[in-house]
Amino acid sequence: METNQTSLPMKILVALLFLFLLAPVILVVPISFSGEQILSFPPQSWSLRWYIALAQNSAIISAFWTSLMLGAIVTVLSLAAAIPAAYVIVRMRTMGSGFLYNLFTAPLLLPTIVLGLAILIVFASAGFLGSFWGLVIGHLVITLPYALRVLATTLGNLPLACEEAASTLGGRPFTVFRRVTLPMMAPGIVAATALCFLVSFDEVVITLFLTGPRLTTLPVELFHHVESRADPLVASVSVLLILLTLGVVMIVDRTVGLSKTFVK
Amino acid sequence: MMHQKILSGTLTALTDRDAHLRLDGLTKRYGDTDAVAALNLNVPKGELVALLGPSGCGKTTTLRMIAGLITPSGGRIVVGGSDITRMPVYKRDMGLVFQSYALFPHMTVAKNVAFGLEMRGVPKPEIERRVTEALAMVRLESLAGRKPRELSGGQQQRVALARALVIRPSILLLDEPLSNLDAKLRDEMRNEIRDIQQKLGITAVFVTHDQVEALSMCDKVVVMKGGKLEQVGTPVDVYERPETPFVASFVGRTNRLEGAARGDGTVSVGGATLRVPGRPNGPVEIMMRPHRVRLADVDASPAGEGTNRLDGRLTRVTFVGDLLQYHVDVNGAELIVEAASDHGRFFRAVGTPVTLSWRIEDTMVFRRAA
Repeated sequence: METNQTSLPMKILVALLFLFLLAPVILVVPISFSGEQILSFPPQSWSLRWYIALAQNSAIISAFWTSLMLGAIVTVLSLAAAIPAAYVIVRMRTMGSGFLYNLFTAPLLLPTIVLGLAILIVFASAGFLGSFWGLVIGHLVITLPYALRVLATTLGNLPLACEEAASTLGGRPFTVFRRVTLPMMAPGIVAATALCFLVSFDEVVITLFLTGPRLTTLPVELFHHVESRADPLVASVSVLLILLTLGVVMIVDRTVGLSKTFVK
Repeated sequence: MMHQKILSGTLTALTDRDAHLRLDGLTKRYGDTDAVAALNLNVPKGELVALLGPSGCGKTTTLRMIAGLITPSGGRIVVGGSDITRMPVYKRDMGLVFQSYALFPHMTVAKNVAFGLEMRGVPKPEIERRVTEALAMVRLESLAGRKPRELSGGQQQRVALARALVIRPSILLLDEPLSNLDAKLRDEMRNEIRDIQQKLGITAVFVTHDQVEALSMCDKVVVMKGGKLEQVGTPVDVYERPETPFVASFVGRTNRLEGAARGDGTVSVGGATLRVPGRPNGPVEIMMRPHRVRLADVDASPAGEGTNRLDGRLTRVTFVGDLLQYHVDVNGAELIVEAASDHGRFFRAVGTPVTLSWRIEDTMVFRRAA
């Protein structure tokens, strides 16, 4: 807000709205420092015992590393596929461009549960269940449409004239792409990276179908944990995840600006 | 004038033996329509040629075909004797200045200018020297480290010009380079571009829809309409001796009257008789420039030798600052007379009967379909 002319009732309303949206997230913080055995608010006593328990819980830690690796690999692969795809669809307009774009972004419209079931059926017969690369492929189905959509929009908004100028100056097609198109797409690439990683890191539905006893991701592990026990351990995990997300958001904000990246 | 031509639709091409750029029947077809239809044009070395016409006349399409950004449907493009029609854009050695400037937003001014040299594998020290030189030419040395978004429109335009010229292109192509600038800056840039072009002696093609730019900057003006050449000539040629009514009305302002020529150098217009250069016959249209027509009180004495005269009534006077425009009703046709404004004083009040007069040689006459 550039002019500070918001009226007081409006300010109070906005504050209440934010409080409502953030309340669950805020509540998690004191609960994570609880000294109790059971999830409760407010906690009767304070301690760091659930953070210590977390540090000793090898299942959650290994699930975290799986999720982190999975997110990183899925993000890299998504970008590697979506950047050329966006270029072909937007810049080399052919008859099938519109069709291809709709086909590739279609998974966004399908209910994830349907996708999960479909992938389960295919993977079960292919013997991909419970394997890391099976998870990678499953997550790609979800993240690729996001990456493609963000990158195609970014590219579509770039003026063609800059690339034309580069080619008249002697740039061969790939050089023009590398020196001009790609750098100009940077904000879109940062946005797609953040989006792919967060979507993969957060994905539960498809992952539930594909994980097995020996391989699980953090969200699925937490889901199972809450099913069997009601201790404040999940709260301390949540606090750490909130910090991680804040970290990603701050990096995006510092590099290209948050509103420029996600709001358009 | 003696060589007043009475023809329309004749395609004229310059025949110059040392043409640097030659277009041979250049054609671009989109579906059933020809955006550019069998264009023939020769541009001699070192000349600045304007492609002038209304939007949709094919001038930008022609320029983009020369640059290699559009593939022609037919015809040839020859530069310095070699056919480049099928040569990919990055091998063509053209310096193109875009209407939107098209500077690379993520590179500094110096990096923008250096881009073409890097593509050519020019050694680093020479790149530095030539970039400095090019920026000095457009008076932007001090801004070498800035990003394009930190520059004004005029400065961005000059960077675009330096970027196109630093590669020493065989032809400089300018696509409406001044249309995004405000009026005062446009005048400055007009002179600056012309000076640089002359200093380097570079062959240049300038696309514009603005007749003032075409007339004031260029050695030759190519007037286009509907994908075809209307007339090619010096600025004085196309202004003073337009070959078609379209050229007459697009380049400069005109008054238009319809009449019937008698074949003896006279034309009957309404009830009056006008004398015209040459001896046309049949239905014609007559045009004259508003500033070549004089306004006087009604005079019963016969018209002087070499002068045409029409009587009318003053219907409106418009003050345009440096000019006064008098609208005169002549038997239902509205003619406009332009005169230098003298402190905003009007010649006569609206409604006054007046006489218009102009020299016979200032009368342009074109055959008209009956």
